[in-house]
Amino acid sequence: MKSVNSFMLRALIGLVFLLVNIISIYMLLRGHNLPGGGFIGGLMTGMSFILLGLVRGWSELQRELPLPPLRMAAFGVLLAILSGLAPLLWGQAFLTQFNFHWTGLPLLGELHVGTPLLFDCGVFFLVGGITVKLVIVLARSTSGLPAFTPGETPYYASTLEGGIEETANEEGDAHAN
Amino acid sequence: MNSLIWPFLLPILTALACSLAFGLPGVGRRVFVALSAAAQFVLALFLAVRTFQGEGVPLVLNIGGWSASLGIVLVLDGLAAIMLCLATFISLICILFSYAETPVRFEQPLRLPLMQLLVAGINLTFLTGDLFNLFVAFEIMLVASYALLTLEANDQDIKEAFPYLAVNIFGSALFLSAAGLAYALFGTLNMAHIAVRAAEMGDAFSVKLVVVLLLVVFGIKAGIFPLYYWLPNSYPILSFSLGAFYSGLLTKVGVYVILRMLCTVFPHTLDGIYGMLSWLAGLTMLLAVLGALSRDFIRGILSFHIVSQIGYMVLAIAFFTPLAIAACIFYVIHHIIVKSSLYLIGGTGLFYNRSDSLARMGGLAAASPWLAALFLLQALSLAGIPPLSGFWGKYLIFATGLEGGRYWLVGAAVLASILTLISMLKIWLAAFWQPAPEGGVSKPTPPIRAMTVLAGVMTCVSLGIGFGAEPVFRLSRVAAESLMNQSQYQEAVFSRLGKEAGQ
Amino acid sequence: MQIETALLVAFLFGIATYLILQKSFVRILFGFVALTNAANLFMLAMSGSPEGRSAPIINDSPLPSVDPLPQALVLTAIVIGFGLTVYLIMLLYRIFLDARTTDSESLFKSEAGDE
Repeated sequence: MKSVNSFMLRALIGLVFLLVNIISIYMLLRGHNLPGGGFIGGLMTGMSFILLGLVRGWSELQRELPLPPLRMAAFGVLLAILSGLAPLLWGQAFLTQFNFHWTGLPLLGELHVGTPLLFDCGVFFLVGGITVKLVIVLARSTSGLPAFTPGETPYYASTLEGGIEETANEEGDAHAN
Repeated sequence: MNSLIWPFLLPILTALACSLAFGLPGVGRRVFVALSAAAQFVLALFLAVRTFQGEGVPLVLNIGGWSASLGIVLVLDGLAAIMLCLATFISLICILFSYAETPVRFEQPLRLPLMQLLVAGINLTFLTGDLFNLFVAFEIMLVASYALLTLEANDQDIKEAFPYLAVNIFGSALFLSAAGLAYALFGTLNMAHIAVRAAEMGDAFSVKLVVVLLLVVFGIKAGIFPLYYWLPNSYPILSFSLGAFYSGLLTKVGVYVILRMLCTVFPHTLDGIYGMLSWLAGLTMLLAVLGALSRDFIRGILSFHIVSQIGYMVLAIAFFTPLAIAACIFYVIHHIIVKSSLYLIGGTGLFYNRSDSLARMGGLAAASPWLAALFLLQALSLAGIPPLSGFWGKYLIFATGLEGGRYWLVGAAVLASILTLISMLKIWLAAFWQPAPEGGVSKPTPPIRAMTVLAGVMTCVSLGIGFGAEPVFRLSRVAAESLMNQSQYQEAVFSRLGKEAGQ
Repeated sequence: MQIETALLVAFLFGIATYLILQKSFVRILFGFVALTNAANLFMLAMSGSPEGRSAPIINDSPLPSVDPLPQALVLTAIVIGFGLTVYLIMLLYRIFLDARTTDSESLFKSEAGDE
């Protein structure tokens, strides 16, 4: 996946990124009773990072990411599991949900919050993280870069093997001989 | 009953801790994962003791406290408890074996987390009482198995993963369609509900259609005759520790689900389907054992034996008497232990000879008499020589077959046993008895000793099953009775789901 | 509505089977994408005809809502299908890099020739 080289996009990408993420968080929050939720919000956030990568280049995107995406995904699963485990403390079944309704709060007025929101946040991180990671690996390895940066290689690859592009070239050489 | 969620959550949390806290391979991480695997085994034993104290009455957890057919239930009955114990035991042994097999600095960083995810998927498959949740559990298991299959494969072997992936994705799509069909037909995906409604429908053609569709799906997973092509070529690309895990558990998950579907969920009157299954089982045994005879490396021979042994289990299911089901459960217990330990012994042999191709092996009996003794015991047990564990399983299956007058099938099973013995002798002669190859045999190093000890532990368990066949068979009997007792299962589930669900 | 969905599912399953049986990796890949979509659509069709029913969310519509369960299930199935597709793409790409071919027949033939 080659990056897009356009002045307009470069100038506007920051604004677009911000707008997409505001909508995605809105989607996350309204998901309790309306279409939306962690999955859709996470996908939108993931897409916003992909857009950033397309415009600014994939290696630069990786430098700008606040957290390693896979780590964020693992954190999301952990959050979802913990939100499911909390009811166990009160002797309820796994994944039991509770809802709270507050009225007369300052600024917000009326607020309806349930523990499923915590689960949804977990899904949000999971989906966002996984989407970004998948697309980064696919985009990097098809645009001539190694699939992993040197910093993250020891987390994903054995010390015995090179990147798939390198081994492929060695193979090609071996066949040529 | 919240303890039922832990066999699924513990491996998941371990995998997460591996990626969040210990991202890099190291000794600390190895100890942590081994401790977690041991804890899972203890938990499974605890759950099994509780189940069998209650005479096999299923324990039920209704996740999220949802009522009616919306919620997901986890159900633990006798068979599920036995399988949980076996799965966690094999995972513990295989994890320890993989430590001996690979030094820390060459370990693939994603290997341990993925193994834990695989265990999570397998445990959820055993526990679930919901058809769609079963699909999800299968997918967790399969996705982890795809990743592990290709994780350490080299450039020549990687293409063998493609048929595995293709066949299993096809199976998943079929499973999804079958689940959809079941929902349209029964209006629910809860297994206990399906059992009630299927019993009302009786012999309707549509019920048979769903059963056949599900059998095709689980037949792919288990490796029954026309659907086993993907297995014998893809398993040999795994390292021995993972191979032991895959061969011990993944196909047996298919057998477990077939047992669950035919015994607990669908009515016991599908005679035509049992007849079809019995002939397929006979063909599976014979054709796969011929395949094993044609292979010339240990992993290849053992992979074909997995398929061949699946034939015996499916044959026992197809006879479909309470005794035959108990025999099948006994056979599954025996087979999981023996097959995994043979893989571990083969893996130790690989380290002595630096190859597992029979042409380049030799001299193992002189180099390590203990290993030779272990192999001989397990190979004879696989072939079914008394008084080892394989004999009792086969004896029970043959006895029920002869009782039902299925002489041809029993004959085929006997023939397959003899051929199994011959192919095992092939390994024995080439790897153990023959003089050492040119490169000589490695000296036993500490890792090799550790591997031999682990194989020895497995062999002791297997000998225990052989000599203590009576209590093990009694357990299988209790498990089979509670498996066949549909009304007990339904009562246990409905009493948890609330009144409106029971109808 | 039901008959059109049934025809579409049948068409998708047919085209998926045809594509999976081809030799080229790309066609096999598209075959699997069509296959997972066919299965998902089949699952979705099990919630019954949507005519005269509202969406399964809390709204002011007086109509009864369609069965929400297949929709929830199909969402799970879509996610799983998505992951599998990505894995398949990466596996086929790696096989292509290693074997320098996108033809499944020659991939396994060359192996037989070696032995």
